[in-house]
Amino acid sequence: MTLTKEKQTELAECLLDMGALLLDCGAEISRVEETLMRMGRAYGARHVDAFAITSIITLTMEFDDEDAITETRRIYSSAGTDFYRLEKLNDLSRSCCAAPIPVAELRAKLEHVAEGKKPESVILWGSILAAGGFAVFFGGTIWDGLTAAAFALLICFLQKQLGHTQISTTGSNLFISFLSGLGVGLLCRLVPMLHMDMILIGDIMLLIPGIAMTNSIRNMLGGNTISGAVRLLESLIWAAALAGGFMTAMLIVELTI
Amino acid sequence: MKQILIQLVTAFIGSLGFGLLFGLRTKHLFWAALGGMIAWGIYLGVYALVPELFLANLCASVFAVTYAELMAHLRKCPATLFVVTGVVPMVPGGSLYRAMDCAVNGDLARAGDYGHKTLVVALAIAAGISFVTVCRELHTPKT
Repeated sequence: MTLTKEKQTELAECLLDMGALLLDCGAEISRVEETLMRMGRAYGARHVDAFAITSIITLTMEFDDEDAITETRRIYSSAGTDFYRLEKLNDLSRSCCAAPIPVAELRAKLEHVAEGKKPESVILWGSILAAGGFAVFFGGTIWDGLTAAAFALLICFLQKQLGHTQISTTGSNLFISFLSGLGVGLLCRLVPMLHMDMILIGDIMLLIPGIAMTNSIRNMLGGNTISGAVRLLESLIWAAALAGGFMTAMLIVELTI
Repeated sequence: MKQILIQLVTAFIGSLGFGLLFGLRTKHLFWAALGGMIAWGIYLGVYALVPELFLANLCASVFAVTYAELMAHLRKCPATLFVVTGVVPMVPGGSLYRAMDCAVNGDLARAGDYGHKTLVVALAIAAGISFVTVCRELHTPKT
């Protein structure tokens, strides 16, 4: 496929959007870079250089007749996990590499994937099952599981509300863990049959940055040390915020009631 | 025995929950949750034979990632989808909580113990992932 200069720039922008979306869905760095390189080559670039870290992507493509094109994209959110869109993007890249579609069509398909977020009810059910399941898993009773599930709903609600504000992930972890710690602590004082530790452990599983940590290690193993180290440090700070919030709440409950 | 059964069932439910939370497609959900459950079963089995925290978690995580690679191959999707749901029952939420609890109550010796446990488990999971990744890379020719 031969592209005009104008189309080449359009393609580069399209590919950067794709890379940004991949990062936002929780793809590893190597997957982002590899996807951009394969896509560029599929569209006729002689040479493609893609570089990504968690906060920026640069892409240079050399076509036969023209000078190289370089575009850069700053990434602001790259810590999400959305396997639904990740898989769609993966399918799109597979089919495009096999048989490239016109750039305008690619743009339309990308926008379609970007808008197709998972429904909220799925997130709610997921949180309920995960928190409830793990509260019982770590040794809680069925009542502990149900309470953890109820507080999972509160956590979802808070996460959604905080999503509309400027708050950072560290701040939101601190705030959410403090509030839920306080809530669970108070409830357990009122209803002595509940086990505070089991309920909190179930809810901690929702907030613990396990995925970010796993991905950071996989990034470092894949040779993307910068991204891996940045994300590992970030997730340790998030975990510390989480611990700080819960500990403060536990101290307040123990000292006052 | 009853305890083991409860753990296996709740590991399945918990993995299923995380699968939903991360937007896994319906057709993958069962297989993802099954991976988490078997991984925990392997942890329990190894721990019963050799009560060594690192080894048991390492074996379980090696299984979880191998399973993820196999599923990715069979079901034509990225392995990441199944890695997360496979290792999630091993995530040391329990010992992290106990470490915090002991620290708040001033029992620093036990807090250190649980903190140490948390780290060992996290390292074992990471080592398991590394091990499988390296094995896969050995079999992939250079592009």
